[in-house]
Amino acid sequence: MLHVITGGSGSGKSAYAEAEAVRLSKAGNRNLKKYYIATMEPFGEETLRKIHRHREMRAGKGFKTVECYVDLAGKAAQLTGEMSGEGAVLESKDGRNERKSVILLECMSNLVANELYRPDGAGKRTAERILWGVKSLCEFCGNVVIVTNEVCSECTVDSVEMQEYKRVLSEINCSLARMADAVTEVVYGIPVEVKR
Amino acid sequence: MKMIIGGAWQGQLIWAKENCPEVTDEQWIDGKTCELEAIFTCKGIYDFHEYVRRHMMTESLGLEGDHPVIFEKLAEEIIQRNPQIVIVSDEIGYGLVPVDAFERAYREQVGRVCTALAGFSEEVVRVVMGIGNHIKEK
Repeated sequence: MLHVITGGSGSGKSAYAEAEAVRLSKAGNRNLKKYYIATMEPFGEETLRKIHRHREMRAGKGFKTVECYVDLAGKAAQLTGEMSGEGAVLESKDGRNERKSVILLECMSNLVANELYRPDGAGKRTAERILWGVKSLCEFCGNVVIVTNEVCSECTVDSVEMQEYKRVLSEINCSLARMADAVTEVVYGIPVEVKR
Repeated sequence: MKMIIGGAWQGQLIWAKENCPEVTDEQWIDGKTCELEAIFTCKGIYDFHEYVRRHMMTESLGLEGDHPVIFEKLAEEIIQRNPQIVIVSDEIGYGLVPVDAFERAYREQVGRVCTALAGFSEEVVRVVMGIGNHIKEK
């Protein structure tokens, strides 16, 4: 199950995504382990406040937080190792293992910036590397909820770098939506179905 | 409470005027110019996003301050004192994060306050190219 959640700034998409991850973890009387993959690097006061706010929101919901600034596929492999240590494979169904976890990845817009601009990032191969990472997550971890961002509806004039960033994020978003079982846009806290 | 939202110039005020007979033409106030207190007594307000900007500037908050708390308070106060209001606003949160700190805070606060108000509203209508879609209904 891949559910992609998008929305604008301050739209309540994080709260919705957390609720969705919790719901998935409890669906069918299961109690799946929940991981939160944080992609925002803690730089500066404002970012720290943001991270703090998100931590408070998640508190008590039972997420294990792991950081991933680049190389999502590597993180997926690491999580798989961790999970198999905990007996994470539920049972074989049609030869495919069902996994015992729900991953909430937040947020795609930060991961893209990291891969584009960090020295250890993928640079020109950002979209390729991230999509491979998402496929790995889906394959190895089961249920995946991804928070992304709608950043392409405004009128300001962009620099070449900003245009490139938007292009890459949008390319990834389009591919994610094709892969996804569900896509939801959150508008001021209201979920609007895009794909089901 | 009702909210009519949409991107810039999508015709949300025209839609509201045609579809919200409870607010007559003279009863609408302009978020760009109205007195800040007027929001608690008016029947309808348009350009609410501009009201939020002015509210933030008037409060002259330090940008490192607690905007979220202030804006939860604004939403709460509107809900308490004027629960029947019709609010028309632009959606402004669909671009890259602004470089300017105030613009960044402003953009996020419009989102937060509108999310709180939409949570209380019985109806939320999103207008695209003049056409209203109910995304929340009674």
